[in-house]
Amino acid sequence: MSIVEEVAPSASPVPETGERVLRVNDLVVEFPRPDRSGFRAVNGVDIELRRGETLGIVGESGSGKTMIALSLLGIVPLPGKIIEGTISLRGRRIDNLPPREIRKVRGNDIGIVFQDPMTGLNPVRTVGSQLMESALRHNNLSRREAEERAFKALDDVGIPAARERLKAYPHELSGGLRQRVMIALALINHPSVIVADEPTTALDATIQAQILDLFRLRLARSTMILITHDLGVAAEICDRIAVMYAGRIVETGTIEDVLSNPRHPYTVGLLAAVPKFDVRRPKLVPIPGQPPTADDVVRGCAFSPRCSFATPECEERPLLEDRGGRPVACWHPRGSGV
Amino acid sequence: MAEPSGGVHVTDVTKNSVGAKSEPNELVQPDIAGGSRGDEIIIPVYWNIARTLGKRLVELAFLLFVISTVLFFALRLTGDPAAVLAGETGDAEQLALIRAQYGLDKPIIIQYLIFLGKVAVLDFGTSLANAQDALGLVLERLPTSFTLVIIAFSANLIVAIPLGAWLGGRPDQRLRKGASTMVFIAQGIPGYITGLILIQIFAVELRWLPSIGNQGPLSWLMPAFTLASFQAPQVIRVISANVAEAMREDYIRTARANGAGFQTLLWRHALKNAMLGATALIGTQVAFLLSGSIITEVIFAWPGLGRLLVTSVQTLDFPVVQAAVFMISIFVYTAITLTDIVFLFIDPRLRRQRA
Ligand SMILES: Nc1ncnc2c1ncn2[C@@H]1O[C@H](COP(=O)(O)OP(=O)(O)OP(=O)(O)O)[C@@H](O)[C@H]1O
Ligand SMILES: [Mg+2]
Repeated sequence: MSIVEEVAPSASPVPETGERVLRVNDLVVEFPRPDRSGFRAVNGVDIELRRGETLGIVGESGSGKTMIALSLLGIVPLPGKIIEGTISLRGRRIDNLPPREIRKVRGNDIGIVFQDPMTGLNPVRTVGSQLMESALRHNNLSRREAEERAFKALDDVGIPAARERLKAYPHELSGGLRQRVMIALALINHPSVIVADEPTTALDATIQAQILDLFRLRLARSTMILITHDLGVAAEICDRIAVMYAGRIVETGTIEDVLSNPRHPYTVGLLAAVPKFDVRRPKLVPIPGQPPTADDVVRGCAFSPRCSFATPECEERPLLEDRGGRPVACWHPRGSGV
Repeated sequence: MAEPSGGVHVTDVTKNSVGAKSEPNELVQPDIAGGSRGDEIIIPVYWNIARTLGKRLVELAFLLFVISTVLFFALRLTGDPAAVLAGETGDAEQLALIRAQYGLDKPIIIQYLIFLGKVAVLDFGTSLANAQDALGLVLERLPTSFTLVIIAFSANLIVAIPLGAWLGGRPDQRLRKGASTMVFIAQGIPGYITGLILIQIFAVELRWLPSIGNQGPLSWLMPAFTLASFQAPQVIRVISANVAEAMREDYIRTARANGAGFQTLLWRHALKNAMLGATALIGTQVAFLLSGSIITEVIFAWPGLGRLLVTSVQTLDFPVVQAAVFMISIFVYTAITLTDIVFLFIDPRLRRQRA
């Protein structure tokens, strides 16, 4: 069986009612600070992912996207810690598993693709041995079978001459090929959820397009969380999108709704900053001002200091709730409610 | 390392034609095009090894020439071989006789050229002390010295590498911090102190081990430990620092994200990378084990090359000194060359190269 489900790109209606595969409830990831309360890199995030659906997470640098991804696998870097919330995979809590059990989830039930393929593979071990290590760990396979599976995994992500590449070391491959290897590594055990953390950011433009095609064409039916800076990427690949700001989701909805009718002023800002001459490829361009850093004390709406619609009301934090059809965390949503 | 040469260009051409052949394939599957870039050059490992060997051989020949020359003149300046040969009772007539016999009456430059000619065919002459072949004396001592060196080196690796990896795996843990401190202190203790303390405890007080000479395996323990004790701490520290650094790398996070446990991360992912940095140190250590064993050999009255060298210098036995230094130089160079070759094997980036 192929590790990527072949599917015609357009034939993917949003499965609104698919089985709920992943559920994150009120997730809080905190980094301790020496003299005061901890810094919450993720501050109360809810996520629901249904089978066959791709959820995009967008937001500025430092908004906590990567921490969410790492939380799912229980590998938040120390001294950071999940201090609140629950994560369930197919109905089973995975945030409180003992080390031995959570290791079975990693790379097996949830596969992750990291941003930088240049540093993400062990430089002194062959691509094949790294793939086989993961296959052997999670399955009862002989070395031959594992090698076969590694070959299959490379072949499936479009690596030419995959058989020979098994013996290659990472430095012998171009950046695009290495990222394909990273994807193969994430997929080799047929995980039920794929997490891709800015999988194209570290690549040059032409290679980016090729990797995107891989996601768009080959992984369209996968159950996936795609973290990206690039709204164009999100538009092409995602079914739903969640916009993050300072550790919280501030707006969420189907990709069409959010892009055509952004309601949170931050989302409006993101879209307004997109260059008009290239609407197909909108990119996140900085909005005036800076997001709060770990040193700032945030009261009320974290975006309000940069928001031109802020009122005294914004000193109280707006919850992410349905405001005219779609969840928005803003007292003064833009655009049109339903 | 991969500057183009004729051979590489040939490889390049073949690779390009392979690239061209794969183009139709890319047209069939445009969505995955660009994977093959056809620009990879694999340099066979033996090509690199041959290069390394060649380079080192030339260097070694030059080094031996320089060392022999320096030693020749240095020894001539510090003493008169004829006087040594004649002994304390020798009178002027005897000295003249000896000079004529050994060619010491010729101009120094001629003597030097004759000496060089003989060195070139590994003829160092006979020992001034007992008329035995100088090189023979040195070669006779080699196995004894090597016993010590090999034991010390193996002990060093067997203890230092795992211990270093263990310490580097979680450098923040208290137990490991304590152990690191002890390693640091151990590094500062000179070898002769270690040796003397060992002799005092195990030979003098407990009478468990023989304190001097080569009297079989039991007598190897203390000198080998002494020799290893000032090299192992260096290896431990380098390995643990490198492992600690490697454990913070992205590929460790990748492996962890795929379910690798701590032991796998440490031994299968971090250690190999850490060894890259430690290989240079270990190689240098091997190179200097033989010469560095001099103090140890003296303390334990170990009948090895080091002690022979010391005695020969003391008695101005020039031919033996020359032969001993010659052999030590060859050994040092062999060790350095082996290190280079080991590097080629453990670091794939040196072995094969993208162009
Ligand atoms: N080791 C750490 N100690 C303290 N704070 C940390 C640490 N690692 C991350 N953070 C904080 O966590 C926050 C979220 O980081 P995260 O990497 O999730 O952001 P991101 O949205 O993925 O950003 P980017 O787009 O740059 O990848 C950041 O503000 C960062 O300062
Ligand atoms: Mg990130």
